[in-house]
Amino acid sequence: MKANSYVSVGSWQEAYKLLKASPKNKIIGGGLWLKKGNAQVDTLIDLSRLNLKKIEDKGAYIEIGSMVSQRELEQSSLIKGLSNGVISEAVSQIMGPAFRNVATVGGSVYGKYGFSDLIAVLLGFEVELQFYPSKTMSLEEYLAQPGFYDGILTHIRIQKKDARAFFKKVCLTSLDYPILNICITKGEKYVVVVGSRPLVATRLTKTMEYLNNGGSDFKEAARIAATEIKVGDSIATKGEYRKELVKVYVERGLEEVNK
Amino acid sequence: MLVKFNLNGLEKEVNVKANEYLLDTLRSIGVKSVKKGCNASSCGVCTVLLDDKPVLSCSILTVRVAGHKVETVESIQEEAAKLSECFSKEGADQCGYCNAAFALMVHALRKENPNPSAEEIKEYLKGNLCRCTGYQSQQKAIRAYLGGEEK
Repeated sequence: MKANSYVSVGSWQEAYKLLKASPKNKIIGGGLWLKKGNAQVDTLIDLSRLNLKKIEDKGAYIEIGSMVSQRELEQSSLIKGLSNGVISEAVSQIMGPAFRNVATVGGSVYGKYGFSDLIAVLLGFEVELQFYPSKTMSLEEYLAQPGFYDGILTHIRIQKKDARAFFKKVCLTSLDYPILNICITKGEKYVVVVGSRPLVATRLTKTMEYLNNGGSDFKEAARIAATEIKVGDSIATKGEYRKELVKVYVERGLEEVNK
Repeated sequence: MLVKFNLNGLEKEVNVKANEYLLDTLRSIGVKSVKKGCNASSCGVCTVLLDDKPVLSCSILTVRVAGHKVETVESIQEEAAKLSECFSKEGADQCGYCNAAFALMVHALRKENPNPSAEEIKEYLKGNLCRCTGYQSQQKAIRAYLGGEEK
């Protein structure tokens, strides 16, 4: 990554003005992914001074500032208390603590990374993204849009729910990118998510429809999941293998959330 | 850009480029205990403490540590020496390239969790690679250092 200048902004207005000033100006979250690329950045815009490192209980939902680190998210008692701590569990499997102390929640979500464990587990919940200056959209909606929204991601809101939850990350070695990640939550309704396929995580609507209309044969649900999921090949594995994994882990996940 | 930060208890001022990483800055001012390994956030040998938390210095822009506290293994010498003894007893060293980072991680672990189980030690250190030892001897050494019986 090349960058000509860096500004730690003191206000939202300043950040937004800089962002709009040039397409080569970029917001920096944790900066881990930005470092790996060949981006030619004019000005790096750092939001660290904008009080975005809070995780707060807002009644019906938990609000997470976009500069909260993955490690802070993982260790938060509010997050641990949500649906048998599935978000903490998923995040704790990402690299080591020194990595997670650098990576931010906002950076992970905004980047729409296909391999993201965090996006996969968040899709198991109803999640809203708040952008500056004035846009709110669901995580699902954001992921479905092509490209990136040109506002500044300020907060992520997770609607509280009392659900049983399952998360599985499949990777060749523990520090590798996952070749698949699966999240299943069962509250009032089932939510079934598959990510790292290698595309970004998605909800399996047909599988969810089957389950939420009373379908109780988990083998059949897993078969529907493997049929509807769109997978591809990557350097680590074939799409065909990913489908087999979906079959196995959707069934196991459903058993787990019904224990 | 002029960046001021606290390094191992001393105030430092360095002139850096906007895209300079802390690892390169530290090594350029003579702190060679911080090693460059993968330089891609994957191996952990560049670990330092930033405001008491372990971070990967290869992935932190130096401009972002302005006003913060950075510690390398030099700031925990006594502790590192004791850990080193345990490593020696268990044959947990070969090239030693990863040792400083391991010492900082063990220091951070001890602060967060003074009495970790073997599994917790393993989890905490999983982002730190060692090409020589196969980890078993390190695990034993760290358990011995932390004074715990195997749980």
